[in-house]
Amino acid sequence: MYKFEKSFYSKTSMYSFVVVMILFFSMWYSTSKFVHIDMALLGYAISSTVFAIGLTIRMSFWMWRKATNRVAKRSVDNLFNKERLKRNSKAFVRTLIDNIILQKFIFQRGIYRGIQHFMISWGCIISFAITFGLTFGWMRFDLIDPETYQIIVFDMPTITMAAHGIFAEIVYNGLNIGAIMVLIGAGMALYRRITDYDVKVTQRFEFDILPLIILLAVTVTGLILTIQYTFLDGWMHHYMSLIHQVTVIIMLMYFPFGKLFHVPIRPLATAVPMSYQEVVKVDTKSCKSCGQPYSNDDQIADVQAILKSQNFDLQLADGTYLSDYCTGCRRRMRALKQMNLEAPQGNPYGPVNTNNGIHISGFSKKRSEEFYGLDQDLKEEKVDEPVSR
Amino acid sequence: MNKIMYLEFERCIGCRACQAACRECGDHDAKERNYVEYVDFTESRQTFPMLCMQCKDPACARVCPANAIQITDEGVVLSAMEEKCIGCRNCTFGCPFGIPKFDFETNKMYKCDMCYDRTRHDIAPMCASVCPSDAIRFIDFDEMQQLRRKRTQMNLVEGKKPQEGNKWDYVPEFFGVYTDSQS
Ligand code: HEM
Ligand code: SF4
Ligand code: SF4
Repeated sequence: MYKFEKSFYSKTSMYSFVVVMILFFSMWYSTSKFVHIDMALLGYAISSTVFAIGLTIRMSFWMWRKATNRVAKRSVDNLFNKERLKRNSKAFVRTLIDNIILQKFIFQRGIYRGIQHFMISWGCIISFAITFGLTFGWMRFDLIDPETYQIIVFDMPTITMAAHGIFAEIVYNGLNIGAIMVLIGAGMALYRRITDYDVKVTQRFEFDILPLIILLAVTVTGLILTIQYTFLDGWMHHYMSLIHQVTVIIMLMYFPFGKLFHVPIRPLATAVPMSYQEVVKVDTKSCKSCGQPYSNDDQIADVQAILKSQNFDLQLADGTYLSDYCTGCRRRMRALKQMNLEAPQGNPYGPVNTNNGIHISGFSKKRSEEFYGLDQDLKEEKVDEPVSR
Repeated sequence: MNKIMYLEFERCIGCRACQAACRECGDHDAKERNYVEYVDFTESRQTFPMLCMQCKDPACARVCPANAIQITDEGVVLSAMEEKCIGCRNCTFGCPFGIPKFDFETNKMYKCDMCYDRTRHDIAPMCASVCPSDAIRFIDFDEMQQLRRKRTQMNLVEGKKPQEGNKWDYVPEFFGVYTDSQS
């Protein structure tokens, strides 16, 4: 493996190479040595490969981050720990169902947002599964007799279906169903982004609006194609299919680099119940100062390691780290420090020193001016500005 | 623009107007993101307000495994990106000052963003504009420098000079520099 790595410009290029090889061989295998390849989809196949390379590069760099790496590594270690089998499987199932399939937490943010995202994500997942399946030849339909189709997955015959049955209709129209879902969802999202003042606070056109426009372009052109060959006898079908192909390629190229990159990183959410907080809202590690539980040992160890690896010096004189204290105690420590009110050194339980005789800026400003007779440049300061700002 | 959030803890009278104002701010979803807490409840009723420092190199963003914490051009450290935050709370524990809050229901972190839609247009953040005792102020850089010089003068007039053993007593005070770009 060491030598193999040396023959590449970088690790990411090695990973990309491996990914492309896997795609190529899966295609070679499932189309039985390219016999059943669908040449009409070649453009899609090439752009999907470039998409896979982009995704690999982005994922590699993301995994390279100190924080991501540490959290992911702990999860992988825990995954192979036999004693944790029960906890792992529970965490896995819970994240998969609540967080990824049902996306309950987005529904908590609002029914509208929940429906909107459910439509976008499931519409996209359905469409992606079908397009990738067909372009790489992982899945194809064979006519075994005039009335029956068989679905071939990875060159293995699976279920058969009647050519005009209900199931067949659903399968043929999978892409249309996906497209309509995305159309509804992305439309809702666009409407919300245009009308809601709250989302506009941090919204950026190129980051938040552009992906919606791209998704809408893909779905609308795709649906027009369907309309053209079902109702208009394929009128202008050729041109439209070219336009559709261009939009899809733009989307695939955009995917790894913009907002849609959240999709491949979401599975990391499993790390939370698996390695950190096992039961929601139940903490196990207690604060060094007040003794209240606020986190758990593994997580604090990770946070400290991540900070240390990035040269954050958050160690106190007594050897503890700021993250050993609960957030409330940390805030209080900061205020005490900045007002010079800390308890005398050596006796953490002594009374807080509330007056050390040293002036803190701005305090008792009025009195001091008369008191000391200094002619101050502060005198010119605007007399209390009107408050309504 | 080069404005400073200027906090003077000892001026706080504990009215919590800043928290009420924070809840009203755009995109804050009726939840406050700042803190008003007691210095030492057994000793006195003195409170202090607490906000995010908008660090130059934010520990919160560095410990986030999802890379969900963005820093704007102006230097404001924003709440977690809604689509990226995986809800691990690393940021809460990594922040040296215990600032990021976490909402378990919606599974995302939220924190002080200096009322981004206001400060971006040079309007004081909600908390600073309602604080009746000027414990939280949004002032010019020059004004801050004046306040600091003033304090040195007062100490000197009283014959107090920083010495090797206590020089740090003279330093601490909070000023969050909002941005570098002067325009
Ligand atoms: C299945 C796992 C997924 C999860 C857990 C997930 C999670 C999220 C979350 C939490 C948001 C923020 C929503 C909000 O707060 O309103 C979001 C937004 C978004 N997601 Fe996903 N996502 C997933 C899959 C997808 C897929 C497959 C797509 C499409 C390619 C997608 C496209 C989008 C878009 C376009 C937005 C922005 C919506 C807006 O403009 O507000 N997501 N996602
Ligand atoms: S809670 Fe969200 S923002 Fe905070 S560290 Fe975890 S993923 Fe990042
Ligand atoms: S949350 Fe904490 S670490 Fe992050 S910018 Fe604010 S003060 Fe700095």
